[in-house]
Formats: sequence, C-alpha cells, structure tokens
Amino acid sequence: MSDEFDLDALAESFLEFLEGEWPKEKAIAYERSGQAYDAGLWAATAGLGWPALTAPEANGGLGLGTAAAAYLHAALGAAAAPAPLLGTLLATTIFGAAGAEGGHELLAAIAEGSLRVAVAEPGSAAVETDGKTVSGTVRNLLDAPGAGLFLLRASHAGRPGWLAIDTDAAGVSVARRALADTTRSLGDVTLDNVAIGEGRLIRPADPAALDDLLTRRACVALAADSLGGGEAVLRITIDYMKVREQFGRLIGSFQALKHRVADHHAALVGARELVLNAAALPDDAPDALLAALSTEAHVTALTADIARDCIQLHGGVGFTAEFSPHLYLKRAKLNEAL
Amino acid sequence: MMTQTDTLAPAIAERSFDPISKVGDEQAFRQEIRDWLAAVLPADWRQQWQKVREADLKGVMNWWLNERRKVGLATPHWPKEWGGPGLPFSYQIIVYEEFARGDAPELETFTISLFHTPATLFEHGTQDQKDRYLGGITHGTDVWCQGFSEPGAGSDLASLRTSAVRDGDDYVVNGQKIWSSASMHADYCLLLARTDPNGKRKHDGISYFIMDMKSPGVTVRPIRQITGESEFAEVFMDDVRIPAKNLIGAEGNGWNIAQSTLSTERGLLIFSATERIARAFELDGIEAKNTWMRDVGLRREYAGFYAEMQAVRLMVKRLLAELEANPDKASATLPTFIKLNWGPLLQRYGEFLVRAEGIEAQKWEPAIPGTGHSSRMRFNDFLKSYGWTIAGGSNEIMRNIVSERILNLPRG
Repeated sequence: MSDEFDLDALAESFLEFLEGEWPKEKAIAYERSGQAYDAGLWAATAGLGWPALTAPEANGGLGLGTAAAAYLHAALGAAAAPAPLLGTLLATTIFGAAGAEGGHELLAAIAEGSLRVAVAEPGSAAVETDGKTVSGTVRNLLDAPGAGLFLLRASHAGRPGWLAIDTDAAGVSVARRALADTTRSLGDVTLDNVAIGEGRLIRPADPAALDDLLTRRACVALAADSLGGGEAVLRITIDYMKVREQFGRLIGSFQALKHRVADHHAALVGARELVLNAAALPDDAPDALLAALSTEAHVTALTADIARDCIQLHGGVGFTAEFSPHLYLKRAKLNEAL
Repeated sequence: MMTQTDTLAPAIAERSFDPISKVGDEQAFRQEIRDWLAAVLPADWRQQWQKVREADLKGVMNWWLNERRKVGLATPHWPKEWGGPGLPFSYQIIVYEEFARGDAPELETFTISLFHTPATLFEHGTQDQKDRYLGGITHGTDVWCQGFSEPGAGSDLASLRTSAVRDGDDYVVNGQKIWSSASMHADYCLLLARTDPNGKRKHDGISYFIMDMKSPGVTVRPIRQITGESEFAEVFMDDVRIPAKNLIGAEGNGWNIAQSTLSTERGLLIFSATERIARAFELDGIEAKNTWMRDVGLRREYAGFYAEMQAVRLMVKRLLAELEANPDKASATLPTFIKLNWGPLLQRYGEFLVRAEGIEAQKWEPAIPGTGHSSRMRFNDFLKSYGWTIAGGSNEIMRNIVSERILNLPRG
C-alpha cells in the first residue's frame, strides 16, 4: 500500500469530479432510466483510474488501501452515483489475498474498468463444485445485472474458496430484481453446469482471514457511502430551508426545524470520525474488524434516519420524485440492509 | 475536619513514587502513575466515600488532593509558570487517562480551582492577583466557585442582573447567583456582575471580580438535586463589599474574560469525563454477562452504544490533538458538536442501564462523591446525565448556535 498519496487531495478530486459529472438533475433523471448502472459515468470514472485504486500496482493498479476506498465511496454516496465500484474493491481484495493464485489476468481488466464485478457477501452460502463445473443458485447478488464477472463463494473438496465466473459463460443466467434504490442493482444468479476455467477457482491461504478483510472493507465502504449520502442530503435540505418561505418567513428560521438539522449535523460530525478511524486502521489492527462492523451498523442507520427526516423537512416537495432526498433515503436503506 | 485521612490511608506505601521524574519515557510515566494509584488508593474508596456526609466532603477531597500533591500531580495540567509541573500535553493526557483507568476519585470540589481559576487569572489577572490566589491552590486547599448563572440568566447568561456599584475603593454587590458548584465549600468566587446597566448590548457593562466568600453579606444556600445530593448552591449577595483591586481585567470587559474561563472546559475536563464513561461502559457489559447481556435485545442495544461512545471519544481525541498542535487554532465548533452528542448519549445510555437492570436499578442509595457521572449507581447516573444536556448552555442553545452560526440558517 502506498502511503505517499495525499488522501485529502484524492478525496477532493472524487467529490469535485462527481459534482460536475453527476449533478442532482442527472441523479434525479437517472432514477427512471431502468439501467443497472450508468455506462457514461462508469466510463468516465474508469478514465480517471478509479477502478484501479485498490488493485495491486503489478496489475496496473494504484495499490491503495481501505482509507482511499473510503474516500471514494463517500464521494459516490454523496452523489448517489450509479457506479458499481464496491465489487471492484472486493474483487481486488480477493485477488490480492495471500495464496490466491489464478484470476490475476482478470485484475488488469478490473483495474482498467473494462470488467465490472459482482461479489458475493463474505460469509454467505457457498456453491458446491467438483472443480470442473458448477451448478447452483446465488440469490440477491448486488450489482449482478451490470457485471461482467461474478465472484462467488465456492466449496471444493470441503475447502472454501471463490469462483470467478464470466457472466456471459454458457449456463449462466441472471434474473434482475428491481430495487427501491435504483442507483444499485440486484439479481439472482443461476448456474447450470457452468464450466470452470483455468485458474478460476481461487483458494486463499486463509479463507477466514480473507472473509474478515472483505467484511471490513465492505463495511467501511458502505459506512463511507452512507456518510457521504447523509452529509449530502442534509446539505440539500438546509439549502432548501434557506429559500423556502411559509407564513412570510424562511422555514429555516423555525426552531422546530433548525434544531433537528443541528442534531443531524452534530451526529454526522461524529459519524465522520468513526468512518475515518475505521478506514485508517491497518488491516492487521486487532480492532479493525470491530471498528468497521460497529461503524457500519451505526452510520448506515444514522443516515437512513437523517434521510427519512430530510423528506419530512422538505414537506410536500420531499414527497415528489422531482427532488433528490428520496434517492438518498432509498440508497441509505439499502446500505443499512446490506 | 474529620479523620477520613487516617481511615483512608492504605498500608504504608512500600516505596515512594515520582512520576514527574519519568517524563521523557511515556511508558515509565504511565506505569509509575498506575503503581502509585494501586498503592495509595484503597480498593474500597467508593464504599468509604459513600458514607461521607456533606460536612465531611472537604476532608476526603483534601485528602486526595494532598495525595496527588505528594507525587506532583495536584495540578497536573498547570504549566511551570502557574506553579504546576509543566508536563507536555501528551503527558497531561496520560495522567487523566490513568486517573480514569485506575478509577481515581474526581476532585469535584476543586474543578473550578484547578481549571477555571487559573485559566482566568493567568490570562487576565494582575501579578498581584496571581501571586495572592494561585498559591492557595498549588500549595493549599482553596476551593473556588463560579458565580455566573442567575435565576433569570441561565442559558441566556448575558442578561445577568447582579449589580456592582463603585463606592470609593470598593464595589458594592447585590444580587443572586445560582448553580454555583461547590460554593457551600468555597473560599473564593469568580463573580460576574453588571457595573454598567446602560450598555449598548447586554454583553456590555459586565465586570469580573474575585469575591471572598467570607465577606459579610454573602449567604449560601445549597440546592437539593434530583439525585438527592447537593453539589450546587445559590449564592445571595447583600451589600457585599469587594475591593476594587479584586476586579479582573478592565471594568466592563467581564464577558470576554468569561469566555476564557469557560474555554477551559473544552479539553482535559471533557476528555476525563468521556474516558471514565468509556471505562464504565466496558465494565457494565462484563458485569452483566450473566444477567441482561443474555437478553438478545438488550445485548444489541448495548452494542449499539459502542459506536456512539467511540464517535465521541474520537471527536475528543481530535480536539486534544488540535489543542496540542496550537490551542489558538483548535476548532471552535468541535466542542459544541461533542456536547450535542455526548449529553444525549449519556442520557440514553443511563436510561438503558436503568431499564436493563430492572428492579435492582430502582433501589436508592446515597450518591458517592468523587465519582462524577460514573458512580455506576444506575438511577443516580441516569438522573445526573441531565447535567450534560442542561448545564454549560442547554443543548437547545447549542442547537441554535449550530444552526445559526455554523449552518447559517436564519435567526428566528
């Protein structure tokens, strides 16, 4: 992991780019597109090297760690961006794990952004395989409809590992399940006698340790996504409270409303500390997993609650799809459920 | 004075302790404080102090202050020029961390003496005032109190009405103060009074005095709190004469000086409080392993508090890092955010423990002096948590400040 990177500058660049490339109007309009992800946005982020962030340097990546990923996901959450980079983070983690031979040729494609990956939840049920073919069903796979590669939990000869399956391989089908949060996608994957390619069964040296690392990184990324979303939806709401008038007064002058946003803001200041701390801990810190799990549980719930209140604080327009708070509420609720 | 000193003294310490001599080696410094605490502090000090009645409170507090003085830690955060040990900030943090870890008594009676008085006098006092008053804290057991709030000036402190009228070499003071911590034990008071009732703004015309609590015309009436104890009192001033040389700073500049007094609450005091609760939180879970921790719902609720607790501790640590780097550039908003998170968290956590422990938590026991907000008597701590949401500017005022001054929402 490279420490020379100026993470603050990096964070700034993520936010700045998304503000220009994915403004509120685009986010609102995208909601009805029916897409699994936005191809234009994805290509733009790939052009900037975002998928390469956590890929090893030997495979064309930047070799950065959890902290850099946290800043990226905070920016994605702030923009409610339909760019499925969580799978990229987890895929680079799996391929980068000790003893994980094979699949490395996929890393270059992942790092350059030509291959999007849907990764099964660490700890979820594994599909059985004899090492040559695989059949089974994986339900509720996040970002599966837009992916070119699946990384699925597998069990071979009693040993846990991961299977890399091309989504266009013979015998693979994906049934998309519509989500309330349209900025991400979900699918049920069915494998019917799918052939396993050379080096596509990945066996980490320590599968449990890899599960912990994946859980930790996923939790930090989701918490960061929620943090960014919470900060953004609150900012949007406060801006609205400064222009919306009722009874001849700006609604932001009413204590019953301003005290609520003051509390939300104070809670998010604390949440930011939690996310930065959880993201900055070294992978082998004894409390890294505890910090990530507790941070994810707290911050995703907090933002879901703030986004819920932001709809109410907007009043009638908060109930319309023309305003953005609902996008953040839906994304926050999905983060909370993941 | 009662003989708590004798009953509390543990078996003669086998060796002398000198943490100050370990400065330069953080680990050795930490260990020395740990060893000293283990040697000097009776394991059952909480039980002993629980029996202490109001009149004897000073005795036990003085005992502990003197024990701290013997090892150079009476005023651990004071610079050398104030008569303190001049510890680097990182070592001051260690002292308060170890006090929390070792469950050392909190010197509640001396909070103003140890924090607010020096913060005020060193920045704004005359040389004469510093010479005369600080020694009574570094070498003695002078108790100071703060005469700020009034019945009509709580969160809206600037509307205070106690008056001070110049008469020859004195000011004649009339009025009433309230919520004055430890004032029934106090030797001196940091007093805010209005010297000019015709100021342009209500913040103008306030002056800052040192008032001798033994002055004729001073009456102190303890306030019985919802916890049953009396930590505060009302202070009545009836034609009290304060010599003009006891004015701190210029006449009419009291409001600004009061900000220095209060800014002292923004560092080690809040750090000490959060570390003590963090330690208590850990013990709460461990001690409940055969009781409410077996209940899935309560266990989850308990776990949920962990992240919130951590968030506050991380905010406090950031504040300390900023204060260490440059006290003048430390965030002015972070203390407000800390207070807005900390008070309600303490209240919800206190309520949780009362609920989790069922009927046991309903049984009343006398409060334990020196245990602050972590007496670990559930109902007591729960009730006391209101101190964090009401005192020091109620959280409602904090929300006004955040929304109007930080988020720039229009005033109501």
